[in-house]
Amino acid sequence: MAWRVGVDSGGTFTDVCLYHEESGRFEQWKVPSTPEDPSLGIATSVAEGLAKVGAAADEISYFGHGTTVATNSLIELRGAKTGLITTGGFRDLLEIGRQMRPSLYDMMAEKPPVLVPRRLRREVPERIRFDGAVETPLDLKRLRDEAARLADDGIEAVAICFLYGYLDPRHEKAAKEVVQEEFAGFVSTSHEIAPEFREFERLSATVVNAFLGPVMKRYIERLSERLRAAGMSAAPHMTQSNGGVIGFETAARLPVRTLLSGPSTGVVAAQEIARKAGFENVMTFDMGGTSSDVALLENLECKRSKDSVVHGYPIKTPMLDIHTVGAGGGSIAAMDSGGLLKVGPRSAGAVPGPACYGMGGIEATVTDANVVLQTLNPSQLLSGRMKLRRDLAHDAVDRLSRELGLGLCETAQGIISVATANMAKALRVVSVERGFDPREHALVAFGGGGPLHAARLAKELEIEKIVVPPTPGSLCALGLLLTDLKADFTASRIVPLDYDAAPVIEDMLQHLIRQAGNWFENESIPLEGRSLLRASDLRYAGQNYELQVPFPPGPPNARSIDGLKRKFEEAHRRQFGFASPDDAVELVALRLEAVGTVSKAALRRSETAACGIDPAPIGERDVWMPEFSERVPCPVFDRGDLEYGHLLKGPAIVEQMDTTTLILPDMRAAVDRFENLIMDFG
Amino acid sequence: MSAIDPISVEVIGSALNSIAEEMGEALVRASYSTNIKERRDCSTALFDKDGLTICQAEHIPMHLGSFIGFIPYILDKIGTGGIRRGDVFIGNDAYAGGGTHLPDIVLAEPIFFESEIVAWAINTAHHADFADRGHAHIFQEGLRIPPVRLYREGKVQDDLRELLLLNCQVPRERLSDINAQLAANRLGSGRVIDLFGKFGREKLFSAWRALQDYSERKMRAGIAAISDGIYRFEDPFESNQHPDSMLFKVAVRIEGDSMSLEFDAPAQVRAGLNLVYTSLLSACYYAVKSAVDPTILPNAGLARPLKITAPLGSILNCVHPAAVDGRIAACQRVADLVHGALAQAIPDQVAAAGNGCCTGAIFNGEQINGDSWVYLETIGGGGGARPRADGMSGIQVHLTNTSNLPVEAMEREYPLTLLRYELVDGSAGPGTFRGGMGIRRVYRAERACRFIVEGSRLRSRPWGLAGGLEGAGAKFSLDDHPFECSGTRDLRPGQIVVIETPGGGGYGPPSSRPEGMISADVADGRIDKEFARRIYAKE
Repeated sequence: MAWRVGVDSGGTFTDVCLYHEESGRFEQWKVPSTPEDPSLGIATSVAEGLAKVGAAADEISYFGHGTTVATNSLIELRGAKTGLITTGGFRDLLEIGRQMRPSLYDMMAEKPPVLVPRRLRREVPERIRFDGAVETPLDLKRLRDEAARLADDGIEAVAICFLYGYLDPRHEKAAKEVVQEEFAGFVSTSHEIAPEFREFERLSATVVNAFLGPVMKRYIERLSERLRAAGMSAAPHMTQSNGGVIGFETAARLPVRTLLSGPSTGVVAAQEIARKAGFENVMTFDMGGTSSDVALLENLECKRSKDSVVHGYPIKTPMLDIHTVGAGGGSIAAMDSGGLLKVGPRSAGAVPGPACYGMGGIEATVTDANVVLQTLNPSQLLSGRMKLRRDLAHDAVDRLSRELGLGLCETAQGIISVATANMAKALRVVSVERGFDPREHALVAFGGGGPLHAARLAKELEIEKIVVPPTPGSLCALGLLLTDLKADFTASRIVPLDYDAAPVIEDMLQHLIRQAGNWFENESIPLEGRSLLRASDLRYAGQNYELQVPFPPGPPNARSIDGLKRKFEEAHRRQFGFASPDDAVELVALRLEAVGTVSKAALRRSETAACGIDPAPIGERDVWMPEFSERVPCPVFDRGDLEYGHLLKGPAIVEQMDTTTLILPDMRAAVDRFENLIMDFG
Repeated sequence: MSAIDPISVEVIGSALNSIAEEMGEALVRASYSTNIKERRDCSTALFDKDGLTICQAEHIPMHLGSFIGFIPYILDKIGTGGIRRGDVFIGNDAYAGGGTHLPDIVLAEPIFFESEIVAWAINTAHHADFADRGHAHIFQEGLRIPPVRLYREGKVQDDLRELLLLNCQVPRERLSDINAQLAANRLGSGRVIDLFGKFGREKLFSAWRALQDYSERKMRAGIAAISDGIYRFEDPFESNQHPDSMLFKVAVRIEGDSMSLEFDAPAQVRAGLNLVYTSLLSACYYAVKSAVDPTILPNAGLARPLKITAPLGSILNCVHPAAVDGRIAACQRVADLVHGALAQAIPDQVAAAGNGCCTGAIFNGEQINGDSWVYLETIGGGGGARPRADGMSGIQVHLTNTSNLPVEAMEREYPLTLLRYELVDGSAGPGTFRGGMGIRRVYRAERACRFIVEGSRLRSRPWGLAGGLEGAGAKFSLDDHPFECSGTRDLRPGQIVVIETPGGGGYGPPSSRPEGMISADVADGRIDKEFARRIYAKE
């Protein structure tokens, strides 16, 4: 009973990490994904991984899983047939949204499709007022009729969202009971999913949850069955968008919380890598085939995103502030009608893929540009498992260079520069737009393309240091072995932040602590592994957007309330450049993050540095560098040859199975004791 | 002009754009009044030292009209030599300083780099104030502020501020919102100075000249793709401020890569519906860009291939002292006109008429302590049907894109209850692709207050294209009594106001609409069976 297993199932590959708790042995395995039934690929990967280390399934003590099932179902609209029950007069709110059109100037742009057709959106008389008073009691008879009619319509899930459901859930709770008497499927209510003000965003989150519910439930059942059949007895867990993991049972009830399951584990892994490497303030940069995900960690904490939107749908549920931009290896470069070079968001995807894959793509992509420049090995990828067609990359970039009137390599470098600018814009969103200076953060680069583009990106943003972890291509799977169990609880209520508020806040706090206690029990977390993090959403009375400020420990009193106000003012000044110390401050929500600490994988650490002996390059290739405007010979190293204490001077290239790292001419890269490459401009 | 490579232009362009967007986000998040913090009725931009647009954040196209005259006015009046670091200008007037109506208060701050003005940070926010005023001429419409210094060398001018606030109905909100506007400019200014430090003066100046040239090239490329000729269109305009129908006309002349838009319209009216020339320009820039090439960067370059004229003293190019408060109503019709004309040349690039309004509902009253409150909402409607898709339902069109105020925010702030917020059945213009549906919003007053509705398409209808039929018009009622012509009305507690906004026009003949789409609309209650039978000849 000693193996901890992390499985990250992505669109192309399923990555497995195995970690032996007693010996610290660590293994990785990669198998092709099985998109038609991902549980199949997962079961295969686990079986093969276990065989590799000579263990049996019943020796698994912990199973963590990151999945794209929820995200893909939402993108591809393969969710359940869903019905909706709303307050009388408001069934169309789902379609109207905030009444803004999706594109200011493009009349042909579409809103994201409405997940519940109008015929399945039903109204019932009921009304709770803004102060919690009941103006119209819930019409139970009408509700029962509507629920029965929806059941007859063959729906698989029902979302229930009433006005002020976040403030007083009694009508939603009563409605859920009645609906469940008439209908055996999946039911989700707004106070359970997103108990916060702004009715449309709460409604949207509730509907997305219902839409994904039956799909996730089926997936989890299939996967659990396969894992049980393989002999695994440990309770499986799944990552959620806030970077923590939840039990399969919770994930099946709250699938909306798993929409960022994949990228959030990458952030968690990067956090641990950065902690060990000795960095407190970092930005993560996870570059894949079609997009890049970026996040900012201040004091090793990633902020939660507010008003989160996923694929155009407001989600309102706790998630890490991860920003995605359509710039990846497959992003297509083209000249627009004004003669400027644009890269992405159009992508060649996995099929046909970049021109150099030789699968029919003819447009130049970021990967083709790297092949032309020879920053990327021009003949093969994945340690030879995949051959590349250099000639096709040349043809694609050449066509574009003639349109632009630039040389071949200048064009290829131009593609990289424009893609870098797009990625820099994404990093600015999570840094400068949130009041943080990117120059004060190190860049943790991973994903298939991160280490290849990190140096240029760092240069653009004047970032001084880059961290490339030992296994950047499968960092998400590693993250699954590094994360704690986490659940978020919110009490939403507007309270003036003054001394009189202490008892009210204490009530809210106790309510949350009770909820968290139940969750700890359900997850069987031992007492010594339980911790609670408190935060409060504050604003000046009159504003409608809040800033999140940590809430001090202990019962609220005059001193802690004064401290909280000061913290809020600092945050306001940092974000907006001013504070109004004389104005009244309001508390809008109290948040509790419950963390159940589990024993985690320890990153491998070398004690002795390899002194004096520099690694021998495995070869050399001519790489075109804008610094010289020509091809210069560049030593190529195998990542496996690099040890703690080694120092490489740029220009240099480091290759490993699924990643290539580029070290620019004015840079150097040192290998630290955790086998990270630490690059700087020394 | 020094040559600059296209890649640096793209990189600097992205940086400038994200600065403008960042300013906008800061303004929304730090502001206090519902019209800005929830409805996002505000815009931010960067201008060059000569007062030309470098970039505008994607908020409200109408607001460009408030920007384009502002800095030239200051440069003309005061001159660069008289402006100091830390000066902040405030203004709103339509005749002195290039505003388009008084509630849009502009704040502009010169950006200094190495003791020289290199650019301007500018923003405007629609302050829900100056409510319940007259509209016979601009003097009735609120306090007129020419561009004057609210701050001199970093010091607030208290005397001026006192004067402004005394003339506002909700001074507490005005003060806080102006602080948020100030913070947004300051943020933009700091970011631009950082860019100058990074790229240097010459490179940035060449980059934004190149960006303006780039917009011009794209605009010319788009116009050149349209067949030469003169395309004419006319459309009636009426409003509940002026129920008599007025005919607006346009002749769009395409010659190679240039376009001229010649408007004709009746004389200016004694109602708040007139457009100063900058309002007309912002309406035309929006309409042409959205039809010709929506990806053109909104900067000064896009205007170069365009020539825009309207008779001086007409409602579309008014002279002092015409009232202008509701100018967006006529601007929306200008956008309809331009699209209607261009539809004859590029039918695949335009939609049928959308709701064509910016239906406004403004409530005001006094709190128990005597302080005033003002609540402004503009309500979306149907979008026009597209050549290959139905129109979107319940959206803002053309020159505005404000958000709604959440019910859960509105009822807490104002003594009003929202009873219904829904789409209007049968309001979509039929067609092969139908228009979007209008919105019905039903308010109940909880305390005595006053309200006014501003709308158009009361008698005229949003037109269809290529055989598509028209959408439904707007309808208003008070306690079930329909009304059309409106001034300010008193509301007693319990009285109910119903506002229905127009639907969008259809595209293509209804007879070609696929069966499945008709039956889906019937199943969804968007049209009834009788309507389907009558219009689509479906059993």
